[in-house]
Amino acid sequence: MRDFILKRVAALILPFVCVYGFYVIFHGHISPGGSFAGGIIVGLSFIAFSTIYGIEKGRAKLSEDVLTWTESFGTLWYGIMGMVGIFKGVPFLANKLAGIDLGLPGELFSSGLISYIGLGVGIRVASTMITIFFTLMEDEE
Amino acid sequence: MGNGVTKMTEAIKFNLPVFVVIAPLFIAIVLPVFARRIRLAEGMVIFVGVLGLAGALFLAHIVLDRNSGTWIYQMGGWPAPWGIELTVGNLAASFLLVVMGVSLPVSLFAVGNLTHEVGGKQRTARFYTLFLLLVGALAGMALTNDIFNTYVLVEVATLSCCGLVSSRRHPRAAEAAFTYLMLATLGSALVLCGIGFIYTITGHLNMGFASQALNEIWQTKRHVVWMAMSLVFVGFAVKSALFPLHVWLPDAHSSAPSPASAILSGLAIKGYMICLLKFFYSVFGPGLIKEFAMDRLLVLAGMIAIIAGSVMAIPQDDLKRRLAFSTVGQAGYIFLGFGLMNKDGLAGALFYLASHAVIKSTLFLSAGAMISATKKRKISELAGVGRRMPVTMAAFTAASLGLIGIPLFSGFIGKWYLITGSIEAGSFLPTVVIIAGSVLCATYLFPVIRVAWFESAPKEPQKAAAQETGDAAVQRETAEVQEGPVQHGQLKDPGILQKLALVLLTVAIIVLGTVPGPLLELAKRAAAELLVLR
Amino acid sequence: MRILLEKLIVNYPYFFAVILFVIGVLTVLTRSNLFKKLLGINIMESAVFILFIAAGNIRGGTDPILDTSKPEAVYINPLPSALMLTGIVVSVSVTAFALSLIIRLYREYGTADARQIAQMRNSALKAADQAGRDNYRHPDRSNGKRGDKNDRSNQI
Repeated sequence: MRDFILKRVAALILPFVCVYGFYVIFHGHISPGGSFAGGIIVGLSFIAFSTIYGIEKGRAKLSEDVLTWTESFGTLWYGIMGMVGIFKGVPFLANKLAGIDLGLPGELFSSGLISYIGLGVGIRVASTMITIFFTLMEDEE
Repeated sequence: MGNGVTKMTEAIKFNLPVFVVIAPLFIAIVLPVFARRIRLAEGMVIFVGVLGLAGALFLAHIVLDRNSGTWIYQMGGWPAPWGIELTVGNLAASFLLVVMGVSLPVSLFAVGNLTHEVGGKQRTARFYTLFLLLVGALAGMALTNDIFNTYVLVEVATLSCCGLVSSRRHPRAAEAAFTYLMLATLGSALVLCGIGFIYTITGHLNMGFASQALNEIWQTKRHVVWMAMSLVFVGFAVKSALFPLHVWLPDAHSSAPSPASAILSGLAIKGYMICLLKFFYSVFGPGLIKEFAMDRLLVLAGMIAIIAGSVMAIPQDDLKRRLAFSTVGQAGYIFLGFGLMNKDGLAGALFYLASHAVIKSTLFLSAGAMISATKKRKISELAGVGRRMPVTMAAFTAASLGLIGIPLFSGFIGKWYLITGSIEAGSFLPTVVIIAGSVLCATYLFPVIRVAWFESAPKEPQKAAAQETGDAAVQRETAEVQEGPVQHGQLKDPGILQKLALVLLTVAIIVLGTVPGPLLELAKRAAAELLVLR
Repeated sequence: MRILLEKLIVNYPYFFAVILFVIGVLTVLTRSNLFKKLLGINIMESAVFILFIAAGNIRGGTDPILDTSKPEAVYINPLPSALMLTGIVVSVSVTAFALSLIIRLYREYGTADARQIAQMRNSALKAADQAGRDNYRHPDRSNGKRGDKNDRSNQI
């Protein structure tokens, strides 16, 4: 993996890939895609980084502990967002019933808790994908 | 202040159905963070187990008190055709009680005992994660009233089961897990196909609405309904190891760590059976089951499974394998009861499901304690264990008597109701098969008890023969029972928590056998509810 | 016959889904290479996805994204696609898990062929059994052979 062009191109493109992943996550409720697809894109940017620059550098960016924490946090975030309904005295995962302003249809902030939940799911998916990749790669050695 | 507390208890009471499902799931997700502090993680697992049991008892109490109607919880506040519903009915309450009641002793048994069996703290934390995911998924299967939600929970349960099987660092375990994964995924793909057909012709994913629509249109879509039914049946039959489709079970259940075997054999396959029951009775309804002769198929398959599973268990010399084959046989009783289509038979099947969950976990846990103490897996090598490990062996004996169906133990009541049900159904053959199954069960369990209690221990401890032959592969195969610190001459009962787990389960067996009251009542009501013709 | 053929042509996605499904099942059950089994599982799941998505399709419908400029538009049913997203997630996790198992098995046995692995395991077991028998004889041990046979039949 000592390819100059590949490394330069990756250095140029990968940040945008990562940001695009977050774009897809945040626009999940008004456009195709969503938190799973966006999370995969975010995860893929790191996976591509690790394949091009080597596993060690990838590991240095995201250590196993960080991945474990983000994985747990992403899902816990979902749980916390679900609990908002319970604190307001309505069922789990309630959105409009919990008194959250839904905004106008078609706008970015128009889905109440859904986009926040999507952020948690996206983080979870991204870190899971990276963990799977690292696990498989390190098993090979 | 007091107002706030009452408000909080009100909120907890109102949201209890969803808490019972999500508490294990979310704690499971958080556990890997605490991998280094394994004591804390274990404490959390037991805490969740206690909370879950309390919740399940409370829900069962409410359901028993209420006497009629079901408590419907709408996720997110969306009403039925659009939202996902959790229903707390008789069936859900009884199975939830079984799940929580069995998983708590199993987690007690696992605590502190697991690190050398699984290898490493990280892997132990992962084991508990999978364990809690499985418990949460099973609780969800009991409660959910949505077809696709059932599929998702089934998948969660399947993946965590495979993870549990492969949690031991042993190639045999990985192989068993792979076979299990392939067949289980095949099964869930079949179920998903069935769900697809149901959705295509009805347009509903809610069980109640789908059932209504199905019963209106099935005459025009006869073949599709038939196909959906068969796909669902075969899919869940693969997953719950109905006899000809059981090939994955003996390997998977015997190569998992003992607590995992207990929960896999005791609960996991029961969860798929409950799903099958829900699909057949709550979605298709008794009328369609009769129409497509699924009841006769279930009875026939159950009878074959009872005989074949029990006969296959007899020649096994490996203790855990014998117990795993016994699970194949015992699953037959439950399928048979599902197919009897009368109140006694169905109630008997549900009660037998509960009793088998408790009994088989006891058997696997005590077998695991014996195996980890003696480092031997073969029944013939367990001579004299009973005198050295009285509590473990007493639990094993009680559970064996329960499985055979001796009065005063829980298996008897289930079998009694199954027999009265089959007599009521007018066929004599199931009765004969049930009794023959008991005899066969005695044939494969009594030798264990005889060897362990009444045979004297061999004079000198056997050295593992593998090291002498010097074959690497042999060493790998035999290394499985040699893991951990080998202590000869220190054969005694396991630690206090393990003993507590075994005693709790044994007490449960005897209590269910002598005062079956509430659970039997729940099972009877659930049976009556399921059999209502729509 | 003609009606049947017409139905088949109109509902061709279902037909192809069933064919794909059967290919997948056949691959899982007949191939002994673990990777091919995994491929079969993936083909099978894709077939189910096609089945669902075909069920949600409406001919002439547009994407189910709100477009205020076209109030008359017919949207296809988004629910099956959303459900299949869950199915895809499940399939991804199954694939990842199976791959890690295959890697573990490959490192242990040096092959990814189920039949060869079973052979190696059985011969190892038999040798261990034989060694154990030489060391210690017991009347209850006479059934060892039948157990072995059962063992082999467990391979798919």
